[in-house]
Amino acid sequence: MDAVIPKTVFYIFSLPISDTLFSTWVMMAIIIIIAFLIRKFKPALGEMIVEMIYNIVSSVMPDDINLAKYLPFLGTLAIFLVFGNIFSVVPRMVSPTANLNTTAALAILVLLAVYFYGIREKGVLGFLKDLANPIFMLPMEIVGQVSRTLSLAVRLFGNILSTDLIVAIVFSLIPFIAPLPLIALGMLTGLLQAYIFIVLAALYVGSAIEVEAMEKERRILKQEVSKTYIN
Amino acid sequence: MWQLDSSTLITVITILASGIGIVLGAIVPAVMEGIAVQKALDGITRQPEAANDLRTTLLISMALLESTAIYVLLVILVLLFANPLLDRFF
Repeated sequence: MDAVIPKTVFYIFSLPISDTLFSTWVMMAIIIIIAFLIRKFKPALGEMIVEMIYNIVSSVMPDDINLAKYLPFLGTLAIFLVFGNIFSVVPRMVSPTANLNTTAALAILVLLAVYFYGIREKGVLGFLKDLANPIFMLPMEIVGQVSRTLSLAVRLFGNILSTDLIVAIVFSLIPFIAPLPLIALGMLTGLLQAYIFIVLAALYVGSAIEVEAMEKERRILKQEVSKTYIN
Repeated sequence: MWQLDSSTLITVITILASGIGIVLGAIVPAVMEGIAVQKALDGITRQPEAANDLRTTLLISMALLESTAIYVLLVILVLLFANPLLDRFF
């Protein structure tokens, strides 16, 4: 059973295309079609989905920020993951996130988004200053950034792959009715993992753009002092 | 006794290690997740109005706890299906 290593389906100019990559393309086409349909007909369902993502993201981000700046990235991630984690229920397709390359790409994207939003919000110097508040904690912070990216990727991959594997094993033993509850469990796990990935990404972005309360008070005090000094 | 060649020996040891590893790697996160759920339910029964915050925190921490079990599973999958030691020695 070579479920851990993705199969190569066909070659484009001697470039191997794995089955997860092919599934990703099919999934992207489906998502684009659904997005065009939602834009054209504007059903209440689309609004509901966007509000749901907004509520999830706003529950973990800091309160006093403009959430519309961060919602496009996190919402795109949410839609991709919700489709990608349960895409193995479509016949002849596999989940795109059952491949470590896909999840590693998503996790690295989250890491880069943390730096991008942090630098956009605070400037390069401010971001570097807030990265480690006592300066000797800097190595720990760097280790934390690497390890949390790794764990984001590996957690999603492991969960999706393990549920797919369980379904495959039970299917090879009893190919009738018996895998159905496990497929349902796999869909539930996929949705939960998508939720957790989004919440963690929002948490990381939020912690990068957040100015700590004491630091904020200190800056306000400094401004007031300089103002009174000038006056 | 049987004379095992090295490749069979490595396979046997790998299978034994996978069994022991998945048992240990499943027990500890399961117990810890049980403790986390217990404490969260305690909190919810004491303060039902804090249930939403607690649920979010509980889900995140459960995922973080569960990821250790998933790492164990991944290591064992690599050992079983894509064993690097067999390639290195033979």
